[in-house]
Amino acid sequence: MELIGVILGLVVKSVIFVIGMFLLAAYLTLVERKFAGHIQQRPGPLHVGFHGLLQPIADALKVITKEDLVPDFVDKLLFYMASLLAFVPAIMILAVIPFGEKITLFGYELKPYITDLNVGLILALALGSISIYGVIFAGWASNSKYPMIGGLRKAAVLIGYEVALGFALVGPIMMAGSFSLREIVEAQQGFFGAFIWYQPIAFIVFLFAILAETGRTPFDVQEAEAELVSGYNTEYSGMKFGLFPLAEWYIATFVLSAIAVILFFGGWNGPHIFGPFSSYIWFLLKLGIVFMFLLWVHWTLPRYRVDQITELAWKVMLPLTFINIFLTAFIVVIKG
Amino acid sequence: MDLSVIAFWSFSTLAVLSAIGVVFFKNIIYSVLSLISTLIMVSGLFFTLGAELVGALQILIYAVAIVVFYVLVISTVPEYKGKAIDPKYMLLSLPVGFLLFLELAYVSVYGAWASNTGIFKPEVLNEIGNVKAVSTILFTKFLFPFEVASLILLVAMIGAIILGRKEQVMDEEEVK
Repeated sequence: MELIGVILGLVVKSVIFVIGMFLLAAYLTLVERKFAGHIQQRPGPLHVGFHGLLQPIADALKVITKEDLVPDFVDKLLFYMASLLAFVPAIMILAVIPFGEKITLFGYELKPYITDLNVGLILALALGSISIYGVIFAGWASNSKYPMIGGLRKAAVLIGYEVALGFALVGPIMMAGSFSLREIVEAQQGFFGAFIWYQPIAFIVFLFAILAETGRTPFDVQEAEAELVSGYNTEYSGMKFGLFPLAEWYIATFVLSAIAVILFFGGWNGPHIFGPFSSYIWFLLKLGIVFMFLLWVHWTLPRYRVDQITELAWKVMLPLTFINIFLTAFIVVIKG
Repeated sequence: MDLSVIAFWSFSTLAVLSAIGVVFFKNIIYSVLSLISTLIMVSGLFFTLGAELVGALQILIYAVAIVVFYVLVISTVPEYKGKAIDPKYMLLSLPVGFLLFLELAYVSVYGAWASNTGIFKPEVLNEIGNVKAVSTILFTKFLFPFEVASLILLVAMIGAIILGRKEQVMDEEEVK
C-alpha cells in the first residue's frame, strides 16, 4: 500500500507541474507578444479581453480547432511523433528543477520539486538536448526541402553549443562542489555569494547557449523565415505545429532560464520580506528577469549566418570555457 | 513487488524490444530511433541499479551527443533510398555477426554467475554521493586506465583532424 501511495503522490505532483507549465506557457506567449510589440513600438494584442488578456485562450482554441493537414508525401508515424519528441523531453526537465525551499503548510511538508537527484544538472542538460531530435525528425519526416535544411541546421548548431554549454556549467559546479541543483543554490549565500560575480565568462557562454538551444533570434537559423519559409515546421499545421514553438520558445526557454537563475543568481536566496512564500517569489522574480532579457535579445538583434554560428561556437565559446575552467580550478585550489 | 523490480523489468523489456527494432526495421531512420530508445532504456536500467551518474551521462553522451551525428548523416539520405535493402553484404555480415554473438553470449553467461563485487557500499553513497564516489575511485585506483583512455581519444582526435584537413598541395596544382 505504501508503494501505491508513493506513486500516487508523484503522479499528482507531476500532473500539477505539467498543467501549471501548460497554463504558464500559454500566458508566456502573451508576455512575449506584448513585450515584442512594445519593443517595436506597436501595442501588441489589444482586442481580446482587457489589453489582450484573453488572447492566449483565443489562440489555443484557434490552434486546436484548425484543420489538421497532413501532406501525402510525409512519413506519417514520424511526422506525428516528431512534435511529441520535441515537446515531452522539454517538459520532463521540470522533474529536477527546484522552485524554492520546502515549506510546511497546514501540517504537510510541501516540496517544490519532484525529485532531488544528486546528478540533477546533468539530467536537465541531457533531457534538454534530447528534444532536438524532434526538430531533426520533423525535418526529415516532412520529406520536403525547407524543413530538411532547417532540421540539419538545427543539428549543426546544437552540436557546437551543447559542448560549450556543458563546459560552461563546470565552473559553477566546481565552486559549489555538487551536481545537485538544490546544493548549488545553497552554496550561494548573500548578495555577493551569487556565482555571477565569480563566473562572468561561464554566464556569457551559457547565455549564448540558451539562445542557440531554444532557437531564439541571433541563432534561429532553423526557422529563418526569410530563407526557409518556416524552417523545420513548414509542413505542420494545427496543434501539431503549436507544440513546436510551445516547447522550444516557451517551455525550454523558461526551464533553461530557471537553470541560469539557479546556477548564477543564487536561486531562491533573497531577503525574507514576503513571509513564508518569499523563496518562491524571489525565484520567479529572477526567472522573469532572465526570461525578459532573452526576449529582449530576441526582438532586437538580427540573425547570424549558419557558418558564423558554428564558427563562434567552436572558435570562441569553447576556448573561453576552457579558460574559465582553468581559472576556476586555480582559485578553488588556492582558496581551499 | 518492489518498485525498483517493476522498473527494472519494464526498462529491460523495452530495451530488448527496441534493440530488436534496430536490427529489423527496414527504414534506417526508424532503426536510429530504436537505437535512441534502447540507449535511453539502458540509462533507465542504470538508474534502477543506483548508478545515477552513469545513467545521466548515458543519456547525455550516447543518446544525444553520439547518435546526433548518426542522425545528421542518415537524415540526409532521401526517404525512398532509406527504405531500400541491399542483400549483397549478407554473406559477409553473417560470420561477423556470429562472432559478435559469441562474444556477447560469453559476456552474458559469465555475468550471470559472477557476483556483484564492484558496487559501492550504501554507507559510502549516503555519505559522499554517487558522483564523488565514482570520481574518487577514477582518480585513485583506476588512474592509469583512465589516462590511457584519454590518450586513445587524443589519438582519434588527431586522426580526425588529419582526415578532415584540406590538401593544400592539390589546390596549388589545380591553380597551375
